[in-house]
Amino acid sequence: MSFGFPLGLLALGAFAPLLLAYFLRRKQPPRVVSALFLWRSPDQRAQAGPRFQRFSREASLLLELLAVLAAAAFLSDVHLGARASKKHLVVVVDGSLSMQAVSQGRSAADRVRDRLAALALAEEAGQLTVVESGLKPTVLAGPQAEVSRALAALEKWVPTQPAHDVGPALLAARELAGGKGNKVHLFTDGPLAEGTLAPPEVEVVSVGEPLDNLALLSAQRSDVEGVASVTVRVGNFSRVAKNVTLSIGPRTQALALDPGATTVVQAKLQASGPLNVALPDDALPVDGVVTLLPSAPPSLKVVLLSGLEPKAGAALRRALAVVPGVTVSTALQPDAMVVGPPGSTADVTLGVSGATQGWLGPFFAQKGHPALEDVQLSGVIWSAGVSPPGRPLMSAGEAVLVSEEEEGRLHLNLDLARSNVQRTVAWPILVSNLVRRARVLQPGLPRRHLMLGEDVPVTTTPGARYALKGPGGIERQVLGVGPVVLPAATVPGRWALWRDDEEVDALEVLPLDPRESDLRGRGPYAVRAAASEGLASIALKTPRSPWPLALMLALLLVDFWLTARRRSAS
Amino acid sequence: MDLAAVERAAAGRRLRLPKGPQRGKVGEVRSASVGSSMELHDFRLYHPGDDVRHLDWNAVARTGELVLRVRQDEVSPRLEVLFDASKSMAVTPEKAARAREVADLLALLGRRAGLEVVLVAAGRSPRRAVGQETRTLLQHLPLDGAESFDVALTRAPPLLPCGVRIVVSDFLFESAPEKLTERWVRTCSSLLLVQVLDAEDMDPTGGAGARLIDAENGDALERVLTPGVLDAYAERFQSHQRLWEHAGARVHATFVSSSAAFTVEQLAASTLAPLLEAA
Repeated sequence: MSFGFPLGLLALGAFAPLLLAYFLRRKQPPRVVSALFLWRSPDQRAQAGPRFQRFSREASLLLELLAVLAAAAFLSDVHLGARASKKHLVVVVDGSLSMQAVSQGRSAADRVRDRLAALALAEEAGQLTVVESGLKPTVLAGPQAEVSRALAALEKWVPTQPAHDVGPALLAARELAGGKGNKVHLFTDGPLAEGTLAPPEVEVVSVGEPLDNLALLSAQRSDVEGVASVTVRVGNFSRVAKNVTLSIGPRTQALALDPGATTVVQAKLQASGPLNVALPDDALPVDGVVTLLPSAPPSLKVVLLSGLEPKAGAALRRALAVVPGVTVSTALQPDAMVVGPPGSTADVTLGVSGATQGWLGPFFAQKGHPALEDVQLSGVIWSAGVSPPGRPLMSAGEAVLVSEEEEGRLHLNLDLARSNVQRTVAWPILVSNLVRRARVLQPGLPRRHLMLGEDVPVTTTPGARYALKGPGGIERQVLGVGPVVLPAATVPGRWALWRDDEEVDALEVLPLDPRESDLRGRGPYAVRAAASEGLASIALKTPRSPWPLALMLALLLVDFWLTARRRSAS
Repeated sequence: MDLAAVERAAAGRRLRLPKGPQRGKVGEVRSASVGSSMELHDFRLYHPGDDVRHLDWNAVARTGELVLRVRQDEVSPRLEVLFDASKSMAVTPEKAARAREVADLLALLGRRAGLEVVLVAAGRSPRRAVGQETRTLLQHLPLDGAESFDVALTRAPPLLPCGVRIVVSDFLFESAPEKLTERWVRTCSSLLLVQVLDAEDMDPTGGAGARLIDAENGDALERVLTPGVLDAYAERFQSHQRLWEHAGARVHATFVSSSAAFTVEQLAASTLAPLLEAA
């Protein structure tokens, strides 16, 4: 027998007042009366009396004492038999992709399952909490789940995380174990990265094996007029040279790779749908197969409003002509980047208002803004008028040359008739940046392929509900309007963007991470905990047994019945 | 039981007998009913069926009418005392003594009046005594009935017709008073209900908690005798008394209630006065 909450036994203190009340009542001075019925109110009951009633009274006391005992058992969370010894085993499993590496028909993840089951048995653990390390620690089972349930939950575990720091997961596990001093087990497949902050309570067990592996290190695809250009980098993380055949869609290519060498393969082929790029299965098959989606055509419609200065319009047309995928028109169209004169509601205004002033510099530009990226203004004469509204992005003296409003409207305070900007290299770059910025602001997924662990950029429009749906039914709501960056998608595969109830775009998360593909440094080892007092104490998370409560209610009911019976008898 | 006090209480007093017809054997007490004694009671006209021996021939001669000489009947009526010998009559020595003394006083006065006195005591086992033996029985009668008086009476011998029936009890039991009084009065000419109560029965003291135990059946009730509880008792007691008074009035019985706190002499002069008269 054990008690989950021993303080609940204080309820046994109710024995004293109960017995005291009983004997005090028994010791009331007796007084013989001629007519007891005259003392009895209609709801009055006799509380003692002849032999039978005294018996029922004592039975009532006994029942009340038992009810107090049952209440104490409930409050103290009593457990009987096998449930008495419950240790809480807290385990962190390395969720990195390399845990899928297979050796002798079993992956490192499989070996973790075996070792964990054996450990739970050896430690006589009653409860198990499993935390998966990753970019964000995740509780796979528990907290404080039954061992069988936790192990069952672990059966569905597939490690897909990129290389990461296991420190946060270890700290979280230590807290789940009850704080400092309680042992935490870490199952991984190799040495911890340098600088990993492992608490002293952590006992590390590595189940990895040093293995040879060939992996895709990166893969890109761009599509132009139905022709897919695929660029793939292949690495040989083996101790020997390898000859392999790389397949890119229907095409195959033989590769010869020295140990530790990488090679780039480029291929052009007619394709309109997804393309599979694959290496033969090896120790880590998952990093040898990727699916490349066709890239979206870089089309953007640019509308030049009629109010633009002729020189400005001409300069824009010249610059836009060299930017691929841009069509220029003067008629308003949906999803188009509109360029107009100052005072218009265009996305980008170009021109000046008021008196103009030429500036040779120095120009102060906001570093890192996508509109001004790589724009070099040395030797440029920038003629500007009255400063436009919004947040200044570039200024000279007191004049604001470029500004951006809160909702994203960009103002170019530039009189092209009195400037030479359009004749410098800065002009096409500036226009190109504007086009790229406009493309980014187009709703959907700006990128088709993401490496494992990369954040997911999404652009949304107001008035719609967006969600990102990934493999295995994962769904993430996209909260925010405009360009939004979501946390990294840690499950490789196809992720689709849904607007309301319609799929509008998709991307592929590639299971590629060179740090995870290199299995040569993996291997088994074990590090004992530097300072721990053992497993966490008895788990308290189990629900209280309801039987003491039920027993207490039953006893009170019997007591009530006895008392009522005696009342009717009297 | 103070016999001297009984004698002092009886001195100069006699039992107030009822005016109605008496029942009993032929004796010395003049009955209210007509009979065959030598005492002239009345004259009336002859009706068929009358004893022709009682025709007053002188009157017939004078008046020419058949005049009947009505003579007063002379009877020796029975006085039956039903005595409650249940435990409740002995909740205090005073109550037990006073009940015995009151019964003895009434029996004594009955004997002195020439009545045939029969005492029926209903306790654990019914007892019966006649004449002088009633005093002996009252002196040694155990008040040990574990049942209420009305239940104990059902085990007693059947009630015989009598002239006067006196019931001495505390009348503190749960039963229908009207049914009992009707049953008692059915076989007698006059019914007297004499209640003897202890002072605690009438006005119990309170203050502390107590385990109240019924004198007869042993039932117990634990109460704190607060003023509210005592008031409730008093209200129920008065209601109970009214029931008996009403039941007595229905059958033209006399109901008197006497307190054991007083001596039998004091009772004879006060609460028992309706039953007695100066000798």
